Amino acid sequence: MPRPSLPQFPRVQDEAGAGGDSWGIFAFLCAALCNLPAVPALNGTEELGAGQSIQKTYDLTRYLEHQLRTLAGTYLNYLGPPFNEPDFNPPRLARAEQVPSATVDLDLWRGLTDNARLAANYRAYSRLLCYLRGLDGQAGTAELRHRLGHFCSSLQGLVVSIAGVMSSLGYPLPAGPAGPPPPPGAPAAPNDFLKKMDDFWLLKELQTWLWRSAKDFNRLKKKVPPAVVTLRLEARGF
Amino acid sequence: MNTAPQTGLVLPELAGRAPEPSTSRAAEGCAIFIYIYIYFFFFPPATSFFFYFLAADPAVISPQDPTLLIGSSLTATCTVSADFHLRAEDLYWTLNGRRLPAASYAALGPTTLSVALARLNGSKQQSGDNLVCHSRDGGILAGSCLYVGLPPEKPVNISCWSKNMKDLTCKWAPGTEGETFLHTNYTLKYKLRWYGRDNTCQEYHTAGPYSCHIPKDLALFTPYEIWVEASNRLGVAVSDVVMLDILDVVTTDPPADVHVSRVGDLEDQLSVRWSSPPALKDFLFQAKYQIQYRVEDSSEWKVVDDVGNQTSCRLAGLRPGTVYFVQVRCNPFGIYGSKKAGIWSDWSNPTAASTPRSERAAGGCDPKGGEQNTTLRRELKQFFGWVKKHAYGCSNLSIKLYDQWRVWLQKSHKTRNQVLPGDKL
Repeated sequence: MPRPSLPQFPRVQDEAGAGGDSWGIFAFLCAALCNLPAVPALNGTEELGAGQSIQKTYDLTRYLEHQLRTLAGTYLNYLGPPFNEPDFNPPRLARAEQVPSATVDLDLWRGLTDNARLAANYRAYSRLLCYLRGLDGQAGTAELRHRLGHFCSSLQGLVVSIAGVMSSLGYPLPAGPAGPPPPPGAPAAPNDFLKKMDDFWLLKELQTWLWRSAKDFNRLKKKVPPAVVTLRLEARGF
Repeated sequence: MNTAPQTGLVLPELAGRAPEPSTSRAAEGCAIFIYIYIYFFFFPPATSFFFYFLAADPAVISPQDPTLLIGSSLTATCTVSADFHLRAEDLYWTLNGRRLPAASYAALGPTTLSVALARLNGSKQQSGDNLVCHSRDGGILAGSCLYVGLPPEKPVNISCWSKNMKDLTCKWAPGTEGETFLHTNYTLKYKLRWYGRDNTCQEYHTAGPYSCHIPKDLALFTPYEIWVEASNRLGVAVSDVVMLDILDVVTTDPPADVHVSRVGDLEDQLSVRWSSPPALKDFLFQAKYQIQYRVEDSSEWKVVDDVGNQTSCRLAGLRPGTVYFVQVRCNPFGIYGSKKAGIWSDWSNPTAASTPRSERAAGGCDPKGGEQNTTLRRELKQFFGWVKKHAYGCSNLSIKLYDQWRVWLQKSHKTRNQVLPGDKL
């Protein structure tokens, strides 16, 4: 296996302009190298696993995004026009704040630590899963209910996958809604039309979150492997 | 709306609306801007839209989510809340996305607009028709879901069967065929005739959309009353009650191990053997059987009815040199001594065999001889090719193998071109 050698370090250093993260990695590597003889080579393989988990999670978000397109189309047709019109954009009511929003200031998003980035994803999908499961159990045809069920299972898989990445990188899982508790304090919609609007926004947020997560995991993918590979091979060198 | 996604900030159109007073509202406004940025960054809109953030319901529609009979009329009103500084003239209605004519509007007050809907058709979707009150620039103020349809008709044609006396599956047909404007819930109920307590079936859609399966706790030797209730928002309909004893509707698995073989050299006979379904020996019932067979190229089945309770039968009067497909099914009867028959099982999987080729056609002086030989040679070549691939060499070579190959040929649709009509005589 070829050694991608020390030049990795200068590359990390050049990225310093991009923000504190790269310096953080560099500092971590230095500290790690100093302790290297005490570090079993096995640690390296575990972190290589993190790279694969991140890739898998990324793939899963793309898959879910694709599934959601069909599911949302079918569900919005069930809600009927104008919900299934392409330019439909109803007002966002205060009560709809219950659904976690993917929106965030761009610079803030760029500056998120890996832990914060993963935690935001984990919390969001846990809650979105709750709401999705609460979608009308009698909704539409048996086929629609079946699709919804299948999507929920896949989304559950995503939550588990994110948890896996977090633990393989050594981050604790966010406390609180681990797994699906009943939607905390979310009042049932006072009428059927508002319920339809809630359903619409839920699907919209899900869509936005999946778009954002793909970018989140892409970012994580680029960050984790180089440090890991260097660490592993340095261990071999000693 | 002017949007320039790349520049980062987009101002929503707020023309004609009072500015938000409090700072918390301003903070919310910031959140909107950021949201719009991200929103447009990821999927730019094709058309302009109106976006605003609300803390309270802007308007109230009455009636909210009504249920109506097809053909009835409705007058709905939209009352805008005082905060919004809108008048009745600034409002309009849409139904399922289509604007309703202004001629049907009436202003009932400074902030209340009504609309008259006559002779309503059935709901376009089961989630309800969307009747929406809009402000002049298209923004949604409030909505109401209209459920328009008919009460259900009573379900019909209830039929049930029990697999090996262990469970009961029933299916029925809805009273109204075709579209149902409202979602209709079906509940299968049953009770012992002389014991009074109603039970509800829980496992639906096991044998089609209108079916239910009762897996356990069924009593034998005693009649049950079974019926189906259909209910929707407009009412309930109950089917006629069907009375049955589990033992009268028993069915079982098809017979196992069906073998079809030649009878020596006889050209027009085949012998069929099978074993009784495994459940039979446990339940003190006998079985009667039925055989059906057809020629390879035909879709017409011939049924042999008088098989009785034997587990073998000889088919006679067949064509020589022909491949036949055979299936067997069984019917449990004499269950616990009763004289009634049960319900026929499914047919077993088809088994194939061929009758020996007639001696007459094999003469060398036959003018068609040459043609037949080429066909036969070609067939043999294909057969040996297949044997090499599937039969692990020639040690298992037997006429059975040849028959299997013929079945395989049929399945891969290659038979058409290879077997000449002349050969079938």
